[in-house]
Amino acid sequence: MFVLPPPPPRYSVPIAYAAGAANGMAVPMIETNNIISHPEGGCPLQAGEGTYRLKDNLHLATPPPHPSEAPILSPNPLATVPQPPTSGVKLSLVSVGQWGKPPTFLTVREATTFGEGNPALAAPVTKDPLKRRKPKSNIIKSSSSFVSRVITNELSTKRLNDRNPDGVFAFANINRAFQWLDLSSKQKEDQLAKILFTKAHMLCHDINEVTKSSSHIDIVMGSSAGDIIWYEPMSQKYTRINKNGVISDSPVTHIKWLPGSETMFMAAHANGQLVVYDKEKEDALFTPETAHNGSDETDGVHKAAAAAAAAAATAGRLPLQILKSVNSRNQRTNPVSLWKLANQKIYQFAFSPDQRHLAVVLEDGTLRVMDYLKEEILDIFRSYYGGLISVCWSPDGKYIVTGGQDDLVTIWSFPERKIVARCQGHNSWVAAVAFDPWRCDNRTYRFGSVGDDCRLLLWDFSVGMLHRPKAHHQVSSRHRNSLVGSYSQHTRVRADSTGNRMRSDSDRTVPDDEFDHIVRHPVEPRARTALLPPIMSKIVGEDPITWLGFQEDCIMTSSLEGHIRTWDRPREGVNEDHDAASTKLSSSATGGSVRAESSS
Amino acid sequence: MGSLFRFRNNAGTASPAVGTTPTKKEAHPPVVTPLEKHLQDMGPIRQDGSDKFFGMENYGNTCYCNSILQCLYYSIPFREAVINYPRRTPIETLEAALEKSLRIQDPNNPIDLEAQAAAKQAKQPNGQSSARGAGVPPNQPQKPEDKDSPEYKKKVALQTLPLLEPNNNAPSYGMSESLFTSLKDLFESVVGSQIRMGIVRPQQFLEVLRREHEMFRTAMHQDAHEFLNLLLNEVVSNVEAEAAKLALLDKDVAPGQSAESLDQATISTGSKTPSTTRWVHELFEGTLTSETQCLTCENVSQRDEIFLDLSVDLEQHSSVTSCLRKFSAEEMLCERNKFHCDNCGGLQEAEKRMKIKRLPRVLALHLKRFKYTEDLQRLQKLFHRVVYPYHLRLFNTTDEAEDPDRLYELYAVVVHIGGGPYHGHYVAIIKTEDRGWLLFDDEMVEPVDKNYVRNFFGDRPGLACAYVLFYQETTLEAMMKEQEQEDLASTMASMDVNDLAFKQNGFSPMSPTGLSHFHTASQIPSPHEETTSRYGLVRAPTAPQLTPHPEHPEAEPEVPQSPDATTVPPPLPPLPISSPSPLSPKKQDAHTRKEQVREEKERKAAEKERKAEQEAKRREDFKREEAEMRAAIEASKASKAEEDRRHDDNPHKLAGGLNLLKRSSKSFSHRIGGNHRERRISSTDLPPMVAPAEQQTASTAPAAAPAVPAVPVVPDIPPAIPESRPAKDSAPIPSSKAIAHDEDMLKDSNGKHGHGKWRSFSLRKKSFSILS
Repeated sequence: MFVLPPPPPRYSVPIAYAAGAANGMAVPMIETNNIISHPEGGCPLQAGEGTYRLKDNLHLATPPPHPSEAPILSPNPLATVPQPPTSGVKLSLVSVGQWGKPPTFLTVREATTFGEGNPALAAPVTKDPLKRRKPKSNIIKSSSSFVSRVITNELSTKRLNDRNPDGVFAFANINRAFQWLDLSSKQKEDQLAKILFTKAHMLCHDINEVTKSSSHIDIVMGSSAGDIIWYEPMSQKYTRINKNGVISDSPVTHIKWLPGSETMFMAAHANGQLVVYDKEKEDALFTPETAHNGSDETDGVHKAAAAAAAAAATAGRLPLQILKSVNSRNQRTNPVSLWKLANQKIYQFAFSPDQRHLAVVLEDGTLRVMDYLKEEILDIFRSYYGGLISVCWSPDGKYIVTGGQDDLVTIWSFPERKIVARCQGHNSWVAAVAFDPWRCDNRTYRFGSVGDDCRLLLWDFSVGMLHRPKAHHQVSSRHRNSLVGSYSQHTRVRADSTGNRMRSDSDRTVPDDEFDHIVRHPVEPRARTALLPPIMSKIVGEDPITWLGFQEDCIMTSSLEGHIRTWDRPREGVNEDHDAASTKLSSSATGGSVRAESSS
Repeated sequence: MGSLFRFRNNAGTASPAVGTTPTKKEAHPPVVTPLEKHLQDMGPIRQDGSDKFFGMENYGNTCYCNSILQCLYYSIPFREAVINYPRRTPIETLEAALEKSLRIQDPNNPIDLEAQAAAKQAKQPNGQSSARGAGVPPNQPQKPEDKDSPEYKKKVALQTLPLLEPNNNAPSYGMSESLFTSLKDLFESVVGSQIRMGIVRPQQFLEVLRREHEMFRTAMHQDAHEFLNLLLNEVVSNVEAEAAKLALLDKDVAPGQSAESLDQATISTGSKTPSTTRWVHELFEGTLTSETQCLTCENVSQRDEIFLDLSVDLEQHSSVTSCLRKFSAEEMLCERNKFHCDNCGGLQEAEKRMKIKRLPRVLALHLKRFKYTEDLQRLQKLFHRVVYPYHLRLFNTTDEAEDPDRLYELYAVVVHIGGGPYHGHYVAIIKTEDRGWLLFDDEMVEPVDKNYVRNFFGDRPGLACAYVLFYQETTLEAMMKEQEQEDLASTMASMDVNDLAFKQNGFSPMSPTGLSHFHTASQIPSPHEETTSRYGLVRAPTAPQLTPHPEHPEAEPEVPQSPDATTVPPPLPPLPISSPSPLSPKKQDAHTRKEQVREEKERKAAEKERKAEQEAKRREDFKREEAEMRAAIEASKASKAEEDRRHDDNPHKLAGGLNLLKRSSKSFSHRIGGNHRERRISSTDLPPMVAPAEQQTASTAPAAAPAVPAVPVVPDIPPAIPESRPAKDSAPIPSSKAIAHDEDMLKDSNGKHGHGKWRSFSLRKKSFSILS
């Protein structure tokens, strides 16, 4: 063991340990081993296609507090010291084989990559393109004060050699631990490796689908301290990025590899920054390159903003401050780009299946749709009220689904740039949403949502159903000033409805505010918006559900306190259409790296 | 004696006259409380009371009262209405009264704490009579005490902050003393005081309360929600009872008043002063419709009820949204609980649901955390996790509801800390107009992070749960402006190195509020401290009569010390724990109670229950004595859902589901029949006027500029106030916006001096909430 630095101020309340400890509420178990159970009777999910049966419930061990953490005997409930954020368990799933690829619905034409036009970002010529670069440091022998220790399984190597290559690996964060599990293994409750961090909690993580192989998996994870870890589990190597928050010192709330990129990933920070990092680049103290802001813009409407005074005055109003553009010539060090969206926490973001667009949801209740390649915001939608927590795209890129603090799941049409329906059924905030690409086709869509109400809900919608205008009674007489939007609603259907729309400002009415080329959509009143009921709603646990994923053979959820539940899909033959559809769909898959929203 | 005086409060007060040795001074460097730091750049004192941050003294379990009073004070329309009804007391009168109220009440009251505070006030150059030789040096040895504990902070606050004791001014309102007048006394003395921070002593208010309501006569723990309901009802009935008398008085000019103050009075009465007595209704009152559909004849019958707050049942892992929806969920009336249908006659099965027909401007939501459990025969606290968003709209409105998508923002949370309904502690967390969220814990006021508000969902350790939520109406524009303001604040602070301090500790605060750096900095000493203090500690003056300018240069040298002050914890102020005083029994009682509560947290649930049970019995006995008043409430608590259903059409049911106006509900509903339609129209006419008002503000802002020099003088030299008034009066705006407008001008000009952007924004938001 290494020697700890002098004790720093502590977390006042690490939720997962202390919650309820003092007052007879459910105390989270502090186990050293994961426990798997097969609940009798289970928790079947009834849907039109059949019954999803609960296969097992894997309860991840919550690690005990780090020895440097003083136990809190009588917490002061009114302590005003800011508390570090933590997160419920989220999973990143990967199969290094060819199995389990979700069906794709559109071909990604010659994907443009981020920063393509910038020679400073041109990929260095590598001798052996198949040889993956590993991170620098060995995590097991790490002497970092950031990593506490790593628990490996002696049998890990053997298990790795013996496993089914198509099997699914899962990576899960819980409290200050990060576990690597083999879900195809017979002893899937025994982790292959477990990293314990000293203080920081990992809040999010993602696996690079491009670089994965049976001997290499690139994982990035973002922590409550703002630090990012690039981890390669096969070699147990890691590298720290944004070390000590040198670039952005706010917690990383969400992290994703850029679609199609081997080295770049995007991280959302709680201070409202969206940062693209390159895992291979060194950190450097970040100073905003604001001088370039506006002048580098290809978009004409930005020119007026170039005046420094005006820019300063409206700094708080611009929905996207480009503090470093991807087109910056200075690309020797991280970050590749850094944008500030707001001073509100970014909860989540999702890349569109066509790899051109980005949907971001924030604490301020906005859904911001971006053309991230051009570093532009296209639309700003608002929740009914409260922050938006989760977001995902339909597999064909036509719809965006969000979940929020209004207890609603909301469907937005991307090409039509409008709200499609509000889905009512949750009894609390909606923590995660995901489409089930195996049950989507070009007309009907299936998605699921989970929330703080411990429920899993499944929803179906079809194009025809949603465009049916809802009978609105006395609408005209009733809206007065609550119809807050001052701009006319843009409901034009784009000619290119596949989602690959091009921006052209000529055909758009520019609002009075000349900076405001973005469409800020008003909040639609309740009476005018279609309401969608769930097809299935079930309480699946006793603690808030924080993650939802669809796999070819199952639905998975994970919860705040570490319960990972897996439901098998209805038995084969129950729904033959489904099988036919899925084979058809997967045969039409192009091998493009369109990813399901399974990990969103 | 000099050693008693501590100089943490105002650098200005550290005049040589105090006569402490310099060494002593260094030994006791001024401590900057988080609140002081938070309020550094406030600018001149405002006249609307929005910049006053007063703790309230706890007289032994009176936290239920303190927390509710604070929530009401920071409801801008409510505060304005209280101050302006029946008319606004002229500033001079307030100041004259303040001379008295800031004086220490009882010279024979030799509490060291008070003596110190009093002595400090006596040092003010205004020559207040200082009748005390109470300087008994505290001989209590310093006890190692947790400086972060609320108890310690409260003691320090009591020791150092000026105490404000409102007096009964009821005669000057032309009213007889009532709960309303003492509430007005309380608000007016805070608004009228020329200090920002202090401790107000609601003793007179409590006396009136206890005189008129037997149930509050004990020093026992009371239910904050019941108190809120009672207070609002009392205010309504006080105001109505005095209405006729006031009408007479208004015609008949009170002789003692000067022409000037009369002018003032007429202006205020002509504008924002509620011309009717219905201002409480207009703020808090909403209408519920219970729709009952007979399943036999399918006839739908409707019945309207009015409410001042909604009490919602809780479910584990739910949200306020969901609780409200459940509140309006359909209910089957069957079996023993059938519905008497007038249409087809006789008892029939029916479907019933309650929906909101008219939305209140301030939505007070009572989370029913205290649930009667039949097997235990008493109330039990529910620790369900119930999340509440910062903004809210109501799903459970009727089709005819006006503005069914009205947006509400959370502005105050009353938190109950404790294991059961019969003991514990209440605090309030309140969003102030332009200083973000503050925690009001009796005497202590502290700025908190916006995320702090979310610590009371019910799932955290420490037994603290949100109990009453106050949502006020707002607009999307106002919300967006506020978010922009937060953004702007962050841009200004973006180069802030403060967070580096956290960095080294392995985490950074998840605090998107721009203001957070003020208080986060106070938690951990960081180099940033120096930078903030270099802005100059324009501390709020601590006495009504302000320090003359010559002393300000003195203040400057003190400034560099403050970083040391925060880095090096100051020695504990001597706390005379055993000093005898008339008040101390109560105080000590309060403290021991709090300690008990703390211990309880460590004890097992069983023990808590036993204790609660004893209390329950006592309380039960006590309650029996005043069955009349509380019959309805008790019935509602004791009755389970089935019972409710049986009495479906009975008003008692409503008393259970939502707290109706206990006393005057009947008369209200009568009056509403005729009145409210008319009122609705007028209120709906208002919002469109907002935009013109804004324009006006914008256009008159330059015009107001000449008046600017006069404005900053106001807090400095009270005699200058009359000078500033002519400027106000000269603005001939007869419309109802006169006052609001006037204030806008004032604030606008203030804003111009300092931080233009957000000041002007916050006032726009304010005018929204007043007008719309």
